[in-house]
Amino acid sequence: MNRFLIVSMMAVLGALQAPAQNPVQNPAQNPSQMTVAFSNPSQPRKLVVKTMMHRVSIKGYDGKDVIVESSAISDRRRRERNVPPGMHPLNVGGGGIEVAEASNVVTVSAEKMFGGGDIQIQVPVDTSVTVNTVNNGIGVENISGEIDVESVNGGVSITNSSGSVMAHSMNGKVTVALDKVAAGKAMSFSSMNGTIDVTLPADIKANLKMKVDNGDVYTDFDVKVTNDTFDTKESNTGNGVRIRGNRTTYGTINGGGPEMQFTTFNGRILIHKK
Amino acid sequence: MLGGGEGKDFAEHLASCESCRNEVSRIGTLWQSLDLLPLEEPGGRVRERFYEMLGAYRQGVASAEPRHAFHWWQMAAAAGLVAAGLGIGYAVRGNMQPPAEVSQLREEVANMRQLVALSLMQQQSASDRLRGVSWAYRAEPSDREVLGALVSAVNHDANVNVRLAAVDALRRFSASPETGRAALQSLSKQTTPMVQVALIDLLVDLKDPEAAPELRRLSGNETANEGVRQRAQWALERLQ
Repeated sequence: MNRFLIVSMMAVLGALQAPAQNPVQNPAQNPSQMTVAFSNPSQPRKLVVKTMMHRVSIKGYDGKDVIVESSAISDRRRRERNVPPGMHPLNVGGGGIEVAEASNVVTVSAEKMFGGGDIQIQVPVDTSVTVNTVNNGIGVENISGEIDVESVNGGVSITNSSGSVMAHSMNGKVTVALDKVAAGKAMSFSSMNGTIDVTLPADIKANLKMKVDNGDVYTDFDVKVTNDTFDTKESNTGNGVRIRGNRTTYGTINGGGPEMQFTTFNGRILIHKK
Repeated sequence: MLGGGEGKDFAEHLASCESCRNEVSRIGTLWQSLDLLPLEEPGGRVRERFYEMLGAYRQGVASAEPRHAFHWWQMAAAAGLVAAGLGIGYAVRGNMQPPAEVSQLREEVANMRQLVALSLMQQQSASDRLRGVSWAYRAEPSDREVLGALVSAVNHDANVNVRLAAVDALRRFSASPETGRAALQSLSKQTTPMVQVALIDLLVDLKDPEAAPELRRLSGNETANEGVRQRAQWALERLQ
């Protein structure tokens, strides 16, 4: 009986792996779309996106593949097709976007300094997602894997998700709303000049570390403050008072749990109860 | 637990012997601090592996020959061995040095914390590396390996949030002269403004006079981030 079970499971696994020849590109579909399969869909999956100018939106969906949609893709297809009669392509600009898969990591990169627009990506809900952008924002929706996003000039928004989050924006706002949190995972949210606005489930157990410089911390959670330092002693310089607090507040929610860090210099920190 | 009579004897002895009293309270605090360690959550594969093992064990048991019943002399031999063990234990106990044992235990706890911090900081997942940085706060302030791992995280970790947390955790090692040196070196290499500002704050808190030239260079650097330049200027005033 056991042996039969194992054999049948192996058969199912084999069947799952068979069609996964990647990257799979279906020419019949939308010309600005590209579909890439993971080489081993049953193992942990990861999506990595790097871009200079594009806005990146990622959405979890009920499927197995990664679907990338961008005007940069149709531009690339047009260039590849546009071969003069009797000639073959030697060096064709790619439209500025590269999509590749290797050992269950799909990488989307668009690192040119011009262009822009949106890159929209659909992935299976439990995929881990790492995104780096420079001049545009990041949106992540309905993901239960590890979410790791960084932007320089754009805002970062994570909604309707339930994984663990590490989010940073230098100049933009960081907005995170989690329906559930992965047990035992540490999280961190930071922005130099933007506000950090995080919504967490009401029953979350967490140790909070909240660090602000020129802003304040607000919450509707029942936070038990364990330590609060406001360094005002030496803020009185020769030319009037310069208020600079190295202000770190530590606290616990629902008795404490994994560490959650909030850091902003010029924004404020809002922690909402869902 | 001790029986009624023994418990009373023990309490009486404690009341009269100061060194034993100290020992008991020391062991008590040790157990308390061990309690403070958070429980490690087993990884997702543990359950799977356990059932694999259990399956293999069951198969092994099923295929083994039926066991022989115990003979009376086996029982007697076992009882004799237990008695001998108790006797040896009792004899050896007189020579035991509890303080040495306690310090050994303490060292083992420190080693374990070091191991947890170091191994978490090596993980693929940024969230795990962040946990590793939090564990660094539990390491001994003289632990150079953990300090080295933190410095390497500040300089090389791909994630801004991990780098920020690692800069904060360096404060735990502020007594070591290496800390200021490493922060200063890192400041000249960092390109993320938020991490640069965190490093400048650390140098101010360390009151590191050697930081002045680098801060002056940074505050005068036209290509540096405006917020970073202001912070460097402010730090220079504080350090003078």
